[in-house]
Amino acid sequence: MSHPKTPHVVDARYMEPPGPFVATMEMLDTLKDGEKMLLLLFREPHPLYKVLRQNGHDYETELMPDGTFEILISR
Amino acid sequence: MQALLSFENAPPFAAPLRFFLTAPLFAVLAGLLLAWNGPQLMASRWMPGALAATHLVTVGFMLQVMLGALIQILPVVAGANLRHPLRVARIVHVGLSGGGLLLAGGFLTAPSGMLGVAALLLGATLLYFLAVCIQALAGVPSTSPTIRGLKLALVGLAAVVGLGMAMAFALTYGWSVPLTALADLHAGWGLGGWAGVLLVAMAYVVVPMFQLTPGYPARPSWWFPVAMLILLLLWSGGVLGNLGGLVQLSQGLAAVVGIAFCVLTLRLQGKRRRARADVTYRYWQLGLVAGVLALLMLLISSLWPAASELDGWTIGFGILIVAGGFMPFITGMLYKISSFLSWLHLQNFGQAKIPAPAMNKILTDTDCQRQMVAYVAALALLLAAVIVPDWLARPAGLAFALANAWLFWNLASAVRRYRRAQAEMAEKLAAL
Repeated sequence: MSHPKTPHVVDARYMEPPGPFVATMEMLDTLKDGEKMLLLLFREPHPLYKVLRQNGHDYETELMPDGTFEILISR
Repeated sequence: MQALLSFENAPPFAAPLRFFLTAPLFAVLAGLLLAWNGPQLMASRWMPGALAATHLVTVGFMLQVMLGALIQILPVVAGANLRHPLRVARIVHVGLSGGGLLLAGGFLTAPSGMLGVAALLLGATLLYFLAVCIQALAGVPSTSPTIRGLKLALVGLAAVVGLGMAMAFALTYGWSVPLTALADLHAGWGLGGWAGVLLVAMAYVVVPMFQLTPGYPARPSWWFPVAMLILLLLWSGGVLGNLGGLVQLSQGLAAVVGIAFCVLTLRLQGKRRRARADVTYRYWQLGLVAGVLALLMLLISSLWPAASELDGWTIGFGILIVAGGFMPFITGMLYKISSFLSWLHLQNFGQAKIPAPAMNKILTDTDCQRQMVAYVAALALLLAAVIVPDWLARPAGLAFALANAWLFWNLASAVRRYRRAQAEMAEKLAAL
């Protein structure tokens, strides 16, 4: 799946926990420096935010009209 | 990493568990009180037994689970970390349980000083809880409808507690206040401003996450909690200014907002991607349907106030919204949260060397579904008892007590299995 913001997308909107976290960490491991990935979820993943901050990743979150949170994460 | 992640934010299991195990016991007491008092409890909302049973359920069951769950999930849904969650849980649990019992005792023995003592204990406990939550949420921006809803729900909690304390002191010291209008407003803030807004804020997260539905559309999600708070402020203004029309209008619009949320959730559930209907899904369906029916009653009585004078109308509305609506939402979530937390804590305990048993090994869906059948039968009996209280009030009370004792048994069994699994994992870890 691709997206205008980045070709690296994890669509976790219909995944049960801990699926979204596992899939995000796996994709982050495959990215090169400077690349970004997008996580799609129907909620804000606060525990994931904390780990991202601890590991030095930047992220930006945008709530779309259909209720999807688009979380753009930098490697 | 995954266990580490979830765990770093998770308070100890003992923090929420004490609330979850205590809550069903209060509902058992409410059922036993109805079985003991019989039809006279259902004669009017002002009967001491009716007031006691209502607060055993709303404070002892509903508030108990809601506060326990909030201590657990504030870090997860809002990124707000409580300092010393176990200490907070201990203090709040003791204050709430003691206060709940004293409150019920106060209604049953009125006029006595017990009501005032209960109000003071509950007021102090909830003020402490509010202070702890405000401290945790300070500086947390409202980046999602859930966080905004949580903050507004705390406003609702402050309002319902303030009104409740004022009425308890008015009853104790014989102050002259418009009790009926204040009691309606107290119920409105409690069920709409606190429990309703909190439920909505939580639903945005848990319905898509656990039932695999689409998300709630953003625009109505932002507005549901705000609209409810504005309408409750208008309702309060109507009571203060003695403006009956404004009270009716705000009650009717609050009912419409609640119905819109229930219908939207039912539509989302209709699009879910999980084929199997587990007990949480079924309990939510029950809560949503009963919630719509109860709110239609509220809408009718706001358009035609004489309806609330009909025999059994107010008691029937109370049973439908509390036992039919809120209790099923809470019980459904209780099952899901308890098994999820058990799994999460076992997963962490295994240190990624020993796998945790699956969630359905801790709490089986079959056991929960059987308990739900008992609960639905109890609810049907309670509603039928509104029409024929002489015959059915006592059996309905017993059935309600039994269904909630069964809930307690299921949760306590899950804790036993959790402890057994933990002991087995400890042995395996020691052998590595």
